Amino acid sequence: MEKKNSLKWKILQPFFAKNTDYLPAILAFILSVFGLVMIWSASKYTAGKEVGDAFYFVRKQAFGLLFGAIVYLLTAKLNVQAFIRTGYLIWGISVILLLLVFVPGIGVETLGAKRWIRLGVQFQPSEIAKFAFVIAASVYLHKRESRVFQFRVLLPVLIMGLATCALVLAEPNMSVTVCIAAVMIVMLFLGGMQVKHLLLLALPMLVGCAVLIAVEPYRFKRLMAFIDPFASPKAEGYQLIQSLYALGSGGWFGVGIGNSRQKYEFLPFSESDFIFSVIGEELGFVGAVAVIALYILLICRGFRIARTAKNRFGCYLAGGITAVIAIQTLINIAVVTGSIPPTGIPLPFVSYGGSSLVVFLGGIGILQRVSSDRN
Amino acid sequence: MIKYTVYSLQKRITASLLVIVFAALSLCVRLFWVQVITGKGLTLRAAEQWARDLPVIPERGLITDANGEILAGNRSVYSVYVRPKAVTDLTAVTQLLSDTLELSVDSLTERLSNKSVSEVTVKRRVEKEVADRIIAANCNGVYLSRDNLRVYPYADLLSQVLGFVNVDNRGQSGLESYYDLFLRGTEGKVLTQTDLQGVAISGAEQMYLPAISGMTLTLTIDAKIQMIAERAMEQAMRTHSPIGARCIVMDPNTGAILAMVNKPSLDLNDLPRDDISLLNQYSRNALVVDIYEPGSTFKILTACANIEEYQNGNRNALAPTHIFPDSRTRTVEGSTVKCWSMHLNGNHSHQTLSDALNNSCNPCFVDIALSLGKSTFYQYLSKFGFGKQTGIDFIGEQGGILLAEPMVKNGDLARIGFGQTVAVTPLQLIAATCAAVNGGNYYQPYLVSEISSAEGDTVSRFYPTLKNRAISEKTSQTIRAMLEGVVRDGSGKHAYIEGYRVGGKTGTAQKYENGIIAQGKYISSFVGFFPANAPQYAALIIIDEPEGAHYGSTVAAPYCREIFEQIIALKRMKGDA
Repeated sequence: MEKKNSLKWKILQPFFAKNTDYLPAILAFILSVFGLVMIWSASKYTAGKEVGDAFYFVRKQAFGLLFGAIVYLLTAKLNVQAFIRTGYLIWGISVILLLLVFVPGIGVETLGAKRWIRLGVQFQPSEIAKFAFVIAASVYLHKRESRVFQFRVLLPVLIMGLATCALVLAEPNMSVTVCIAAVMIVMLFLGGMQVKHLLLLALPMLVGCAVLIAVEPYRFKRLMAFIDPFASPKAEGYQLIQSLYALGSGGWFGVGIGNSRQKYEFLPFSESDFIFSVIGEELGFVGAVAVIALYILLICRGFRIARTAKNRFGCYLAGGITAVIAIQTLINIAVVTGSIPPTGIPLPFVSYGGSSLVVFLGGIGILQRVSSDRN
Repeated sequence: MIKYTVYSLQKRITASLLVIVFAALSLCVRLFWVQVITGKGLTLRAAEQWARDLPVIPERGLITDANGEILAGNRSVYSVYVRPKAVTDLTAVTQLLSDTLELSVDSLTERLSNKSVSEVTVKRRVEKEVADRIIAANCNGVYLSRDNLRVYPYADLLSQVLGFVNVDNRGQSGLESYYDLFLRGTEGKVLTQTDLQGVAISGAEQMYLPAISGMTLTLTIDAKIQMIAERAMEQAMRTHSPIGARCIVMDPNTGAILAMVNKPSLDLNDLPRDDISLLNQYSRNALVVDIYEPGSTFKILTACANIEEYQNGNRNALAPTHIFPDSRTRTVEGSTVKCWSMHLNGNHSHQTLSDALNNSCNPCFVDIALSLGKSTFYQYLSKFGFGKQTGIDFIGEQGGILLAEPMVKNGDLARIGFGQTVAVTPLQLIAATCAAVNGGNYYQPYLVSEISSAEGDTVSRFYPTLKNRAISEKTSQTIRAMLEGVVRDGSGKHAYIEGYRVGGKTGTAQKYENGIIAQGKYISSFVGFFPANAPQYAALIIIDEPEGAHYGSTVAAPYCREIFEQIIALKRMKGDA
């Protein structure tokens, strides 16, 4: 009897540990369900017209949410210390998955980019690679001789990060590349890299960006489009203009859930990369800021978990996962508001996209587990 | 040597958080800018793309005669549009349209497959029954809008004056063109909320901006008199096979045009739009836009000038009792002017001015013109409106050709005296004649008496415009009597109506082609008015290149009588004599 009770306690322990911070998970699920509602609103017309099923995207996303919830439960139970043993392996697998993108028969090409692979289910390896890099970097930073923060010592983190970036860029997927690069900088910063070294790193990156733009002139046009989208309303500027129309017609309080006009095919990717525009249109400035507030709350709690983690590994892991969520959220909102050059990146938890949702909920599970372990 | 750097992980986490929160707040500020500050402007721009508008074609204004008889009206027809992007079943749509509109499936498929255009006009002017069948089929992507087909109930009646419209119902010629701004009305719109492709969103409100119908033109034309004149000219066409028979009937006391006929003419409902030269030729209102050498009808004005000057005490003017020399010829500056008559057997002898008019004797009018002199004579030509447009409300009016006064030599002056070396429009001639016989008032001829809204409210009313006084009442009275004599006793006797007082003057002019006289080509004309003591109607008949007989007295004058007789019957006018 005693033994059975203790076993039960052990199983449930990660969920009901005294100091566990459940708020990130609660916020993540609130955002995910909210995402379902917004995906329904944003896609019901186009899905009904093009697929013949108004609930097509919602249903797929609901499955993603269900699967993500299971992954969350698993990762929340998983002993974080297990990642220390398997961290490099996980990153290695993610690299292999990224390479599989280029294998004919497995990799799926859409719109000239190879971003998907089909292995039973179809998913984007780059989604996994983001977190795999965070885990591997955390393992390395944890294992390295403590208090050594020489540039040379941090080099492996840089190499892993750049390697991941290079593979994602080869797909090509500029936006995720930028995202991973930013996460890498956060990991290096948390890993103790001197600020002047970080700044030195920024220099070749800027040169790299310039080269990338020079190689593909369409990127330069995109860049210009963000500065003045109305100069090319039918070409590069189109998507941003439509996004601004959506946000603008939202005003203070929005046109109400389900009443978006821009979702009638005017705003492309309204259910995925540009769902925040529909949120802004239907819920207005007030609703959009409320959503941002939820993310800020989630990020604050994530960093608090990092700060109070039991060990440095937990700290790096929680910090990295939170950084991924934060960076992707900021880039997404910056794009739809025309604050940075347009690039396609989903809004964590909310945008349509199964692999993204599953991976992020998995990340939330790890975050929660770190918080459970802190004492 | 290993360099150690001590750092606080806690502080770095806090620093990262602060950077992220700062970025998030910046985005909130940006959102505030986009949504709240520029929101209204963006909404307005967005609203433009949310709705598609179909035009609502306004009813083109009616053109009626003086009594409200509709001369130009409209019939409802439909325009069929397709929005290729909104088509869900192309085969069904092409089949439907090819069946109903008799278009080939292949060309339809090609036109409707072009998704880069938002709207294809498949066919215009589709009759209601056909449109109803298309509506009943209820195919996605097919739209209809009501359009107007201009209809002219009287077919070719007054056709050159009315003019016609193009497929867009814009006036192309005549009054349709001159008054197009009033007639065209204002387009309305049906705004439909659609998706990007132009597919209407179900349940969304439609906004309807009604069209404003064009204004109604009331003409001075009397359709009944017009018909009388048209029939007379048709008869002239049959009898004399000229290249044209034209006629103006005018109210001498106002300048109002009562009838304006150009034969041959075309049915305005069935124009040869593909044959531009034919269309141009038949749609010319030659009475206003073409000039001719008037010949003897012009002598009225020479006579007026002389009488007026004589009454004013000008010694150069010839007295009514003045007997003109009998000679058939006058030689002026080396060139010789001959009378049309041989002056044999006592003809054209001992002529007074009255006789000269009766006989239409050229040398007498040479004498008058030369005696009055260039300066005086030109004053009268100007008062009678020659050398300038009358100002009628019609497009393309010509002002005729009158030699500039300093250029005129006596040889020219002598010929102008009897209507040569001068070119006028028929309108100028009748307007001048009206001034001569109505008491001396030169009225500007006009065609439209009123513009009113479709609801019947008067927008603008046109009154007779007295441009100037040409001669005195007394002179006018004298010339009326003389011209009545021409019809009673002289060359105008074919216009004589028993029991009624008709005045008039014949004219026969040789035609010029490329600056030289064209042998055997004449313009026979007659200008008449009645009742001669107080004219109510004036008419100018022009028979262009009659075959066989060519004297105005025999070719043109009978049609003036014909027209006047029928007007008498129409208006139940009582005779004086």
